[in-house]
Amino acid sequence: MAFNILIVDDSPAMRRVVRRVVDISGTDVGTLFEADNGLEALALLREEWVDLIMTDINMPGMDGEQLLLEVRKDPVLATVPVLIVSTDRSDARVKQMMTLGADGYLSKPFLPATLSGEIHRLLGGGTDESL
Amino acid sequence: MKACEFAGLVPECFSEVLDAMYFTTVLDSQEMEAADSQGGDTLVAFSLRFAGEVSGNFGILLELSTARKLAANFLGEEERSISSMEAGEVAGELANMLCGSVMSRVEGEHKFVLSHPEAVALSPVLGTGDELVCRFATDSGDVTVWIALEGDLCRL
Repeated sequence: MAFNILIVDDSPAMRRVVRRVVDISGTDVGTLFEADNGLEALALLREEWVDLIMTDINMPGMDGEQLLLEVRKDPVLATVPVLIVSTDRSDARVKQMMTLGADGYLSKPFLPATLSGEIHRLLGGGTDESL
Repeated sequence: MKACEFAGLVPECFSEVLDAMYFTTVLDSQEMEAADSQGGDTLVAFSLRFAGEVSGNFGILLELSTARKLAANFLGEEERSISSMEAGEVAGELANMLCGSVMSRVEGEHKFVLSHPEAVALSPVLGTGDELVCRFATDSGDVTVWIALEGDLCRL
């Protein structure tokens, strides 16, 4: 089964790095979508089905916290796994995002193998041993 | 927290970020002298604002050639294929991750907000006397990090 994945980050460089990790993770990817912020992500989610959302928090327009809230209250999107990928690793922020319904929290900087493992876990493939 | 305590966190965070995502090693002081930059290259500077229990501005300054090497490592691509714009984007992301890493250690129990990193002119960034400056030598070149805290200041 091929999975559609959405990467939401205002940094094009970071989106490229995440895309590269997905490419080498061994995940069977259908389409890898990208969005610059929460607003772009929501517009895309209304048009396309995705199996996993990976989002930054600090973004202009709509941040990752608001995106998570919008996804969780949408009856169609509510069950889509959301992985937070953020530079903010404060206990307060991690606790808040998990309480709001995030399925995982990965802080930057991260090791490629850690991100790959989270992708496999959230897509139901267990942990990744390939990296 | 005093500014000097804040600045004391930078070296550890810098090594962590460079090692994990830029596959770049921070050199010790002896290696730093041996690797001293010849200068003359175009300089790239990015800054962002941080706001939380501690607030201020954070920035990095590096030569374009260093930014290209870091970008090549970060993106997993050949250095010669890296454009100036890509090198700048990656330098901005370095500033973002480094500031986030420091702030996560500072704030702990408090949330904080970082602005989007912006390319800045050099003149307003350094030399005003109100900033703390740390210079690091890496195997990709030198990187200068500066912090301007609102309120309490101390000199390194």
